[in-house]
Amino acid sequence: MDKVGIVGYYQVKPGLDIMMSPYEMIFEAVRGALDYADLKRKDLTTVISATNDYYDGKTISNCFKVEAGGAYMKDESKVEMDGAHAAMYGLFRILSGNHKLAMIYGISTPSCYQYESVRVLENDPTFDRPINLLNSYTSGGMQMRAYMKAFGISEEDIAKVAVYNLKNAAKNPLALPEAKKADITIDEVLKSDILSTPLRELMYPMKCDGATAMILAPERQALKITDNPVWIIGVGNVNETYYLGDRDLSVSLSMEMAAGKAYEMAGIKDPKSEIDVAEVFGHTACEDLIIAEAAGLTDKGKGISMVDRGNLNPSGGTMAGYTPCANGLTRIVEAAKQLRNEAEGHQINGAKMAIATGQVGFCAQNNVIYVLERGGN
Amino acid sequence: MPLPDYEKKSYKRTRTMHGNWYLASYRYKFNLSRTKVFLKGLAKGHILGLKCRSCNTVSFPPRLICGRCLVKPDQWVRLPETASVSTFSANYDADDKNRERPYPIVAVQQDGTDTVWVHNLTDKFDFHDVYVGMPLKAVWAEERKGIWMDIDHYEPIEDPAIELNKKEEEM
Repeated sequence: MDKVGIVGYYQVKPGLDIMMSPYEMIFEAVRGALDYADLKRKDLTTVISATNDYYDGKTISNCFKVEAGGAYMKDESKVEMDGAHAAMYGLFRILSGNHKLAMIYGISTPSCYQYESVRVLENDPTFDRPINLLNSYTSGGMQMRAYMKAFGISEEDIAKVAVYNLKNAAKNPLALPEAKKADITIDEVLKSDILSTPLRELMYPMKCDGATAMILAPERQALKITDNPVWIIGVGNVNETYYLGDRDLSVSLSMEMAAGKAYEMAGIKDPKSEIDVAEVFGHTACEDLIIAEAAGLTDKGKGISMVDRGNLNPSGGTMAGYTPCANGLTRIVEAAKQLRNEAEGHQINGAKMAIATGQVGFCAQNNVIYVLERGGN
Repeated sequence: MPLPDYEKKSYKRTRTMHGNWYLASYRYKFNLSRTKVFLKGLAKGHILGLKCRSCNTVSFPPRLICGRCLVKPDQWVRLPETASVSTFSANYDADDKNRERPYPIVAVQQDGTDTVWVHNLTDKFDFHDVYVGMPLKAVWAEERKGIWMDIDHYEPIEDPAIELNKKEEEM
């Protein structure tokens, strides 16, 4: 694969209920990314957004966002999935050779609707929806139980991951202020309310409003724009069955296959030693571990060791504020920041190779992974 | 101290997750910073347009973002009350005796602007006589409240030049 560079990005500071319309949030993110890279709107050749019609309360939700997203009179399209999938769409367009600069943005506004209820509509309408037992809490609880049972993990271990993520979030200036918990203890997590046993409130991320934008450019173009771009050198995307019962929830086979493809593309033989930073998108503290293990960062069932190594989710990951539709893109941007030495407060020194993941569906049905490499000095 | 997860406690705070979701419950957010100035202007009998300093495009009603330049326009300009028909269409709806009645809808371009909005035409006017480019004039509501419908409707104004052209064509 030819190298594609990340040349600019911007994150709108998340909040539980931002006093901004989605339209303005997109404008701030897109304008911010262009200003960061010192580019003009006319330089953009394609704009890809990650939004969801249900989450936006209107159909064909991208039609209203054209002006704000910088897509006026441009090639524009939408992905009704995670921001990481939008980034993949943008990547393909760049690799096709037809585009020189792609703007990718994701936006989420859960303050406008009942997120958990909307996710119930993600259920299969013939079996799961009439029974109405499956939702993001119960699926998270079942996944956590399956993982704990399969590898002999205790609730305390999962609580440890939640504490680790929340403490990391406290160091991240762009984390949700309510999620910044520098003094949290394992005991507090274990005593928080039960969402769906054994999943507890503090093991589940807080949903928040936020928008993220990122600019991609092909190798030659990227080097004209910046001296230290971040290269995307590998990508993998695998989807598995919808039905939870048909999958082994304690592992993520789709991520394992996707990671295998991405590492092969990037020429990585031993991800355990070669990957310096990982930004993974897990819906719960437990899912962070499952995805990190599937991505080959540790052995199966040993994900908890990532907490001691400290290179998993230095930004706090999803626990630093979950922005549906923008979260995967935020993970890529956070990983890129680490490689560019621009992470304020949560920088990992000397990071050269990173992975970032995105997902969509209950219990991470569809996974996408990026391998990022530091360019320049 | 592993807590057994089947431990039953009484909680003060509980969660409700609705199994269904209605679009009507969606909370749409909108920035009123531009709209408020515009509506206050209407209450005073002023028609205001918003000008982008970068490309000099004037929008009426005001747009929050200029798509061409990707900036937020912030220069207000006073517009004349005259306008012209950009395009039009006619619907038929039933009156109280269930008789069909034509109902013209005109896309109005306020003079001095680059955008178009859709409005009513006076019902005293036969829509068969409407044409693209027809000059119009805004008619204010009897009582101005600072709302969009302060401009009650548009009515055609006589344009001597066009009348002359028509006569020439007939001759």
